[in-house]
Amino acid sequence: MRLPIKPIPPRESQYGIAPSLVKKRVSELPGMTSVSLKELFPDLPEVIFPNEEGVAVIRKATEKALQKVDMSKIKPEHSVNILASHHGFTLLGGEPYAEMLKTIKDVIEGRTGCKNIRLRAGVGLRFRETEEYIKRYGLDEYFNGKAIGVAPIDEGIPIETEVGTLYGIRKIYDADWIVHAHNSDVREVHFHRQVDRAVKPFGMSYARIETRSTYHQNLGPRAANFTARSIFDSPFVQSKFAFASFLTMAPNGIIGVDADNDLYALNDRVTQTGCLYYGKIMTLFGEIDECIAALDFPCPVVYVFSAGVIYANFAGANTDLFDLDMPLPAYTWYTEAFYGKAGRPLLKDIPPINPAIKMCVHNYAWTGYPSAFFSEHIPTVVVGQQQADLFDRDPQNLTYMKNAVVAESTESAMDFAYRTTGTRKVIIFDGAMSGINVSEPMAELLIKKAPAVSERVDNELLPKWLKQRGVDLSLLK
Amino acid sequence: MKVVNLLAEVDMEKCKGCKTCEKVCPVIAIKVENKKAVVDAERCRGCGACEQRCPFHAINMVKLKQPVLVKVDVSTVNYSDVIELCRGAKLNPEQIICYCTATRAEEVAAAILQGAKSPEEISFLTGVRTGCKVECIQPVLRLLESAGIKPEPPKRGWQWYGRTVTVWDIPEEVKQKYASRGFYFDEDIKLLDEVVSAPLQGRRNTDASSN
Repeated sequence: MRLPIKPIPPRESQYGIAPSLVKKRVSELPGMTSVSLKELFPDLPEVIFPNEEGVAVIRKATEKALQKVDMSKIKPEHSVNILASHHGFTLLGGEPYAEMLKTIKDVIEGRTGCKNIRLRAGVGLRFRETEEYIKRYGLDEYFNGKAIGVAPIDEGIPIETEVGTLYGIRKIYDADWIVHAHNSDVREVHFHRQVDRAVKPFGMSYARIETRSTYHQNLGPRAANFTARSIFDSPFVQSKFAFASFLTMAPNGIIGVDADNDLYALNDRVTQTGCLYYGKIMTLFGEIDECIAALDFPCPVVYVFSAGVIYANFAGANTDLFDLDMPLPAYTWYTEAFYGKAGRPLLKDIPPINPAIKMCVHNYAWTGYPSAFFSEHIPTVVVGQQQADLFDRDPQNLTYMKNAVVAESTESAMDFAYRTTGTRKVIIFDGAMSGINVSEPMAELLIKKAPAVSERVDNELLPKWLKQRGVDLSLLK
Repeated sequence: MKVVNLLAEVDMEKCKGCKTCEKVCPVIAIKVENKKAVVDAERCRGCGACEQRCPFHAINMVKLKQPVLVKVDVSTVNYSDVIELCRGAKLNPEQIICYCTATRAEEVAAAILQGAKSPEEISFLTGVRTGCKVECIQPVLRLLESAGIKPEPPKRGWQWYGRTVTVWDIPEEVKQKYASRGFYFDEDIKLLDEVVSAPLQGRRNTDASSN
């Protein structure tokens, strides 16, 4: 068995406990090992990051991708907002995304002579998160003091769309041109269902609360991301859109950088790679019969990563998140909303939270995202009283600890989980790069199941998923 | 329903009177007077919007010694009216509309039936919109609209701007235009309609079918 992979280290943040309080990582405990993703799925692509050269390869890849982009509309006297989102900074330590942002600025400046280039970094529900990243990666200095975090409660701007008025964040659009700098990591498949993934930030991290509420409350689980498309297609946004540049991701790392003046062309490529590569990992996760899920990553509960898959998606891995014929995943906000007062779903065919998760050991994960649904439905052990206290102070998680218990240490939490669940299969969401940290019995299960999963995705599921999204099936050949 | 356990506290040395806090507070509990922010402790719902957006980091959230339960008692209003209001907004009364406080549509409907006429009043009474501050403005506006109320956004505020489209409002030509791109509008309408009319769990069946 392989040694565990070094997990992403804890981060200093107002949304998590101090890194010094994270005394032990779950992967350091006896019986833990790792599985290489390439070993599971040999057809996963080669990655450019992680690598031995570091982020220099990201700069080179960004420069190369931008060569084919037309920047002739940007004049020296113009202003440009490079639009970023918090998600990118959670990928593989965050440096690759920061490097892509810096490179985009340099290339625009070099090619167009434009000097007034700003960074506008949107957030989710942690309004100062990108402020933290801007400092961490020196982006404020790099952008000559013109890098700011923006939040969905900041001043808005109405945007007329073909479905009526929606609202963006004013500071996102306060330049002559906008550049959409994002990534293709699938992340919240339970929300966007890999429909217009590349467009989503226009309805989310660049958008005001009215728009985000439209997405999560007004349109339904499979129509939701139309919010993003309608904003992006609006004459206002089209009049400002210059181009997009994406870190293209696979579960095992960064494949490259993709840039285009045509966001929908890029979107089709993202849809294909997302369904293909992440579809295999998620389908494999759906084969896990029983497990302890250990959260150990500097992000809110839902966003901790394992093999590029977030815990929110593992909580729904008992259903096919990519299959649009399936209306509601086991976890999404629409699903959560549809639990009645007796604690049961209002409709009988709403699937339960992944029953394979016998217990969740919350070793290290942040506040700043409503997560009480998880501790209500999955037995949860939180490590350390300080972490429990932090959740009790979070307006989004005032009842998270109501249904969770506290353990003094990582060891005692895991012992409790082993004893009470009876399973030795553990999957760790700690952001390990290129592989998954798991217990030995879990490694054996994944290795055994992967070949059949791969075949099923290639031959049966992928063609269906792409057809449902109107993606040209010849792309597969 | 929300247990309020935090209170915004202004650091007068750092406060520059910029009014950002005023513009983002969902319950209008903070105002700038004489160039300094002042918190109305009785109104504050501890959401931290002001603390998170203050450009000068002049606001701290402090733990209340005695947490306050904020709740509208649904049993004080006629439940048939609650059902009617919720169904008019295309919501099931038991549907959760605020994920942070687990507030259900019925409680917001009850607040409206008790006289609340704006999102700010509803948030003050129920705690809705005082968790993440992002996701639940639309169902609140839909419920107000169902009651025939068209509130005006707070003047010069950024609290909210307007009611937006629902899936039931999507024009047919838009549905057709994007039919092949994975947007399941009609299927989602069917699903949401089923939710709206789903039997209630917290009441007798006769109540559930009373509309």
